[in-house]
Amino acid sequence: MRWRNAWIIMRKDLDEFKKQKLVIGSIIAMPIVLGVIMPLAIFVPLVSTTTATTVWDVPGLLETGSLPGNQSVLWTNQTLSDVSLSSKIIKHTVISHAHLSNCLVISCIINNSTVDHSTIEESNLTQTYLSNTTVTYSKGTGLDGSNILAVQSSLFFTKTKPSALSVVLPMMFNLILMIFIVVPATLPTIIATYSIVGEKNNRSLEPLLATPTTDGELLAGKIFSSFIPSMGSTYLAFVLGVGLLDVVLIPHVGYPPLPNVIWILAILLIAPAACLMSVLACVLVSSKVSDVRAAQQLGGFVVMPVVVLMLGVLSGLLLLSPFTVIVFAFIYSGIDLGLFYFARAVFNRESILTKWT
Amino acid sequence: MIICDGLTKRFGSITAIQDFSVEIPDGRIFGLLGPNGAGKTTTMRMLSCLIQPTSGKAMIDEYDIRHKEDAQRIRQMIGLLPEVPGLYETLGAYKNLDYYAQLFGIPKQKREQAIKKTLTNLELWDRRAEPVGGFSKGMKQKIAIARALVHDPKYIFLDEPTASLDPAASKIVRDYILQLKAQGDTIFINTHNLSEAERICDTVALVKNRVVRIGNPKELARGLFARTVSFTLDHVPATLLQEISSLEIASEARISGSQLIVNVRRPEEDNPLIITWLVNHKVSVQFVTEEEHSLEDVYLKLIEGGGH
Repeated sequence: MRWRNAWIIMRKDLDEFKKQKLVIGSIIAMPIVLGVIMPLAIFVPLVSTTTATTVWDVPGLLETGSLPGNQSVLWTNQTLSDVSLSSKIIKHTVISHAHLSNCLVISCIINNSTVDHSTIEESNLTQTYLSNTTVTYSKGTGLDGSNILAVQSSLFFTKTKPSALSVVLPMMFNLILMIFIVVPATLPTIIATYSIVGEKNNRSLEPLLATPTTDGELLAGKIFSSFIPSMGSTYLAFVLGVGLLDVVLIPHVGYPPLPNVIWILAILLIAPAACLMSVLACVLVSSKVSDVRAAQQLGGFVVMPVVVLMLGVLSGLLLLSPFTVIVFAFIYSGIDLGLFYFARAVFNRESILTKWT
Repeated sequence: MIICDGLTKRFGSITAIQDFSVEIPDGRIFGLLGPNGAGKTTTMRMLSCLIQPTSGKAMIDEYDIRHKEDAQRIRQMIGLLPEVPGLYETLGAYKNLDYYAQLFGIPKQKREQAIKKTLTNLELWDRRAEPVGGFSKGMKQKIAIARALVHDPKYIFLDEPTASLDPAASKIVRDYILQLKAQGDTIFINTHNLSEAERICDTVALVKNRVVRIGNPKELARGLFARTVSFTLDHVPATLLQEISSLEIASEARISGSQLIVNVRRPEEDNPLIITWLVNHKVSVQFVTEEEHSLEDVYLKLIEGGGH
């Protein structure tokens, strides 16, 4: 195999490809729409609704509201410690190691206490367990509890179940990650299915086959010329998508959640392998049919293995982890290798040139 | 040298060409003539190692077209012009040629020179950057010819090289083919253009799914037709035809106006005898001309007439 010849074929195809502005536009637009605009359209409303006044079964760790500018927590120097109070109104007091039940607590500092069936306003809470309690205009850290209604409050919990957002995020991340795997498998179908049969219909295949180029070099060139634009636009959308999603999510989670390890492995291993699988299958189809439309129709089937992965993930049957990503990347790469050798073995110059049905 | 020995190609039950045997020495122009579907393109494709023969063999230099390794070497030393130009229409003429020159492994500097030379010879250098999709059929054909020649192949296969070309462009191509012959290249041409074949081919083969006749165009005509000589006379006596028919050499004579037309076997010996006889019979001979039979006559008689 002389890679130089494959490189020459690829460069010529890309030269031709550059002249097809509408095709380039669609190849760039599809990943941008599916991998950037669609996730933003999902996440922006999602995070904005999740951070509004929300009733939590167990409040979320990720909640980061802030007090209105003209409100503040007030307190006095009065101290209550090691007490159990019920049905009281407590104001301007520092409370520690207390158990408050059915109380209205206003402008207090509460440490290491338990509060149930109460209302807390304009207070500062630390290391406190809250149960069936409404908290308004307050701050809290190191909290724990259940059935809490937080209104305009900034509460941080150390021992909680995940918040609605933190439950939704991984699922959404998986969905979007699937987009970045399905898209590179779908994008090359048009270019790759055209690769051989297009040249045949254009009658440029005969002089090309009369050059010293081998079957393997020809196939490799055709594969690269479909693979590179598809992966290029996928990576462009990936970088844009990740950047913009981080911009949206950082205020709510406090750190850039993307790309995580799974995303990095998937985009570096599974996406190219899936893209290559699609390209190989389409080039194979393209070398066996005599009509571009037939090639494109059949090319639609080649994304099936990728759709299987997507359905597995979305249905919850398959949990994405670094390990599963690597396993799938290996499986796809194996299929890729097999497809290449199969395509080369069944590539028949005579049949391509002489069969028109 | 190209040697074909019993080359046969069948597609299922259809025989495209059968038992094609020919030897083409280096530096010659060989023409393959025949009607559509006679197996000309199939033969050229077999020799270009694009398709495999069903039986028989062909050697180009010491390489056998049936062997995969040899086929690679053969492709390296041939240039092919297929029956349809098959250019990359969005690319310019230069890029089209550059692509092929690269695939033949021509170094950059040599490539540039070769492209310039071929495009200049075919009067296309000034339009090298324009997308060829906007070119006329003739211009595309010339670029396809340039593509077949850009790597300076030793063996050149041209399928209908002057199809779609106007007379001036055809002449440019014919002259270029003769120039290639002069530099020692071997050229194999499929053509319907009989006068062109007659003008440039050293040897032609008439085929109709098998070789009907092979030889030098002029020899083919001579072998097929009796030589006809016209004697233009000052007057034609009423008994002339009857009297001259008694001569053995002029037994198949006829009169047309003031011309006596005689089929002769050896004009060099027979013409003086006839002229002497006419003069002795008080008939002056104004002109003597020999009718030439063209390759077209040969073609029509052998191919269209179904003769073998």
